[in-house]
Amino acid sequence: MSSPEDRPRSPYDRRTTVIARTVTRLVVPITLMTAVALLLQGHNLPGGGFIGGVLTVAAFVLVYVIFGVEYLVDTVNASGDRLVGAYRALFAFGLAVALVSGLVPMVLGGEFLTQAVFFIHDLPLYSELEVATALAFDLGVYLTVVGALLVIIAEVGYE
Amino acid sequence: MVLSWLSKTPKSDLPLDVLVTPPLVTTLAVVLLPFAGAVLAPFAVRFAGERAGYYAAAVALVCLALVARLASFGEAGRGTVAVEWLPSLDVVLALHVDGLALLIAFLASGVGVLVFTYSAGYMHDEPGLAKYYATLLAFMGSMLGVALAGDLIALFVFWELTSVSSFLLIGHYTDTASSVSAARKSLVITVAGGLFMLVGFLLLGWTAGVSGEQTYVISALVERAPEIREALDGAGLFLPTLALVAVGAATKSAQVPAHIWLPDAMEAPTPVSAFLHSATMVKAGVYLVGRLRPLFLPESLPHVGNWTLLLAALGLLTMSVTAILAVQAVDIKELLAYSTASHLGLIVAGFGFAEAAGAEAGAFHVLNHAAFKAALFLVAGIVAHEAGTRRIENLRGLRHDMPVTAAVATVACLSMAGIPPFSGFYSKEFLFDAAYETAHAVGGAAWMFPAVAVFGSVFTFVYSAKFAMLFWGKKPDALGHVHRPPLAMLAPAVALGGLVLAITAAPQAFVDAIVGPAYSATVPGDAHGFSIPALKLSPPLVMSAVTVGTGAVVYQAYDRLHDGLREVLTAQPRLRANIWYDGAMATLPWLSRWVTPAVQTGLLRSYAASVVGATAVLALLGYAAAGVALPVPTSVGAGLTGAMAVVVVVAVVAAVGVLDAPSHVAGVLTLSVLGSMLAILYVLVDAPDLALTQLVVETLVLVLFLLVLHRLPAFYGDADRGRVVRDGALAVVVGAAVSVTVLVSTAASPNGALARYLSERAGLPTDHGSVLVDWGGGGNAVNVILVDFRGIDTLGEISVVAMAALAVLTLIRMRDRGETP
Repeated sequence: MSSPEDRPRSPYDRRTTVIARTVTRLVVPITLMTAVALLLQGHNLPGGGFIGGVLTVAAFVLVYVIFGVEYLVDTVNASGDRLVGAYRALFAFGLAVALVSGLVPMVLGGEFLTQAVFFIHDLPLYSELEVATALAFDLGVYLTVVGALLVIIAEVGYE
Repeated sequence: MVLSWLSKTPKSDLPLDVLVTPPLVTTLAVVLLPFAGAVLAPFAVRFAGERAGYYAAAVALVCLALVARLASFGEAGRGTVAVEWLPSLDVVLALHVDGLALLIAFLASGVGVLVFTYSAGYMHDEPGLAKYYATLLAFMGSMLGVALAGDLIALFVFWELTSVSSFLLIGHYTDTASSVSAARKSLVITVAGGLFMLVGFLLLGWTAGVSGEQTYVISALVERAPEIREALDGAGLFLPTLALVAVGAATKSAQVPAHIWLPDAMEAPTPVSAFLHSATMVKAGVYLVGRLRPLFLPESLPHVGNWTLLLAALGLLTMSVTAILAVQAVDIKELLAYSTASHLGLIVAGFGFAEAAGAEAGAFHVLNHAAFKAALFLVAGIVAHEAGTRRIENLRGLRHDMPVTAAVATVACLSMAGIPPFSGFYSKEFLFDAAYETAHAVGGAAWMFPAVAVFGSVFTFVYSAKFAMLFWGKKPDALGHVHRPPLAMLAPAVALGGLVLAITAAPQAFVDAIVGPAYSATVPGDAHGFSIPALKLSPPLVMSAVTVGTGAVVYQAYDRLHDGLREVLTAQPRLRANIWYDGAMATLPWLSRWVTPAVQTGLLRSYAASVVGATAVLALLGYAAAGVALPVPTSVGAGLTGAMAVVVVVAVVAAVGVLDAPSHVAGVLTLSVLGSMLAILYVLVDAPDLALTQLVVETLVLVLFLLVLHRLPAFYGDADRGRVVRDGALAVVVGAAVSVTVLVSTAASPNGALARYLSERAGLPTDHGSVLVDWGGGGNAVNVILVDFRGIDTLGEISVVAMAALAVLTLIRMRDRGETP
């Protein structure tokens, strides 16, 4: 890990152009927003946890490629190992969310992974909101995919 | 769910329509309780320390009580009960209660009580008590399982469990090299034998299937014994099946030439030797012989059939060879180990003879041998513990320091030598009787049977006398002061000595209660009554007299015999079976050094080639074997628009371009063009979810490739023609397998019913309340399938993703830590 003293003049230079870096700064937030939108709208429109997850990872990969591994590490002020640890925790948590979302219906007397749809009426703006419990499961899928792929990319990227 | 079979018990005076069956719960409890006890053993050791032996003894005592309860039902409690195990495969866990099972179960739990009590004294200041008691209890459960197994598969599982627990117990002192190698030897020999036996069992089950309903339930097989023998004969499998099963029994019961593991196994703590390697585990082999005797042995005698030729000969050979080896032993436990192999030979020979007296000898000697040999092992443990040596030449006159132990040892030795009227005399008489009757009926070479039986028994007499003499005569000065044994060690030995005396005093009572039912379980057809004959002049008695007389003479020359045998064995090492075992073991590393580099090249591409190639070839062979007709797409042009045609053409061009790419980067980029064209194709055929996934994954894979590629050499050198052909062939095979799979799997369209159901169910019904459960309630049918209809599949898939990440993590981190070999 580079310490402040032996860093190059422009720490995240990595032979990438100003254009690439500027575009990345603009694109990454949009990509992440799109990914979350894909996750949330997946039940009714194209999208879903898996696609949203992979797109999120693609945004991270863009950061990795353009700014380098050190940028992320320095930004979150953690060591690379801790970062991978966080990714690992992410997919473990995702699996747990998916599993628990399957177990809850069993407690309520249903079968494993039974999904239900609730309709909430009389809300301001929305008037009627459709809430699918499948969203919880999809969130688990999303987190697992993001965590697992990031672990793989971070580990391979370090090489 | 409980099933039960109507089991025909010999000598049964019950009306046949009464369902004879032992109580399921009690039978299961006998087998499962020791395992539960094993799980709790580490806690017992933590709380009670060395006194945990009494906890284990209590568990064994409960088992003994349960076995006694099973026995108390008499004829009504005999038969097979079963619990469904894997109903889809017709596998049941069947337990069978009969005389033979009860005899072995009594030994396992009864000797267990004594050995655990003894351990509380013996394992003073020893390491690994938790492991010791847990393994010993698990062993007891496995042995009870072997005894009560009503099904060949269950029998095999428990059988191997006893081998594994024996391995752990022999290797108890994990720091000692001899202990480790002894453990490995016992495991290699007994487990290898067990695998032979398993093949034999499978052949039996298959044969039963040929002649009727396939089954592994032993009582069902025995009931159909004649037709199964006929079917085996018809297929030419009678002798192979018998031999396979006999190999299993012979390795477990230390028959020549697999006897070599037993003396080495004496590395185990002495209570283990007494329990596993004399009274119970080694009895599993002879138990199997007795158990399958009514299956293989025809009811009407040919006096010498395959069964007798194989087993009586093997048993008598073992009995003689190992008795001679016992005479050359230098260590008291080594002497007892060879003697154990010899007596197991006697039991195998007994069951081997077709005569009723043979089965009587076998069944009775199982009990007698367990009693006197376990007593002698406990005595040997006391001697080693208190005198500090196990060398035979250093030990003499111990009766002055340990009179009670001396009395126990003397009684047990008299029984072992077969001196009338001690208990061992009766079982040996039955063996002599069977051998004599067989020879008398057949004549000729069959006279070898009684001759070898007497010859082996002479040596039995000689080493028995030697062991007894450890306690008599003048004590050598070098021995020093010998302590008296603690009560926890002495009491179990005295109990077993008392058992020997009890059998001696009232043999008929024991026959009626325990041995008789065991004997009838080993007899094909109806068993006649089993009674101890009165002492009168008969050929067997003459044979006994010759044995004792010759033995007494030979004993006078014991030292010369002992030294002479050792000299011969040193001069001619090839006579020892060990040399063959060591040679075989030395060959294995040589073989691995030769095979491993050929298989493990260390080149990723060769692993990838074999994995991918094997998968493709197996898939293609699978289609061929299943006779799948290759569907020919008839409507290729239908629905193909101009835009699609353009996309497909670009994809094909990109695919061809990959082959000719000048660099890795160019190749990957071209490949990505192919992937993107596929995504566009998905858009054109109205599959937006697939298109999205394809695009995002394509992007990610491209980046990953580029990350990895800059580490690879830019140029590999010109490929030689051989490799081009080989790689090309592999590519064609894999491509063909994938194409065929796609064609086959998309050909069978369930005429839209499935799609209709899914698209109807995925969306919202027109009328709905505020909560829906049966409907997916989502406009995106693909996603509803993923998260709702096939949610469990998705759960499995994300688990795989997580596992892949863990695998990458472990592989890369392990390389950094240098943990690769």
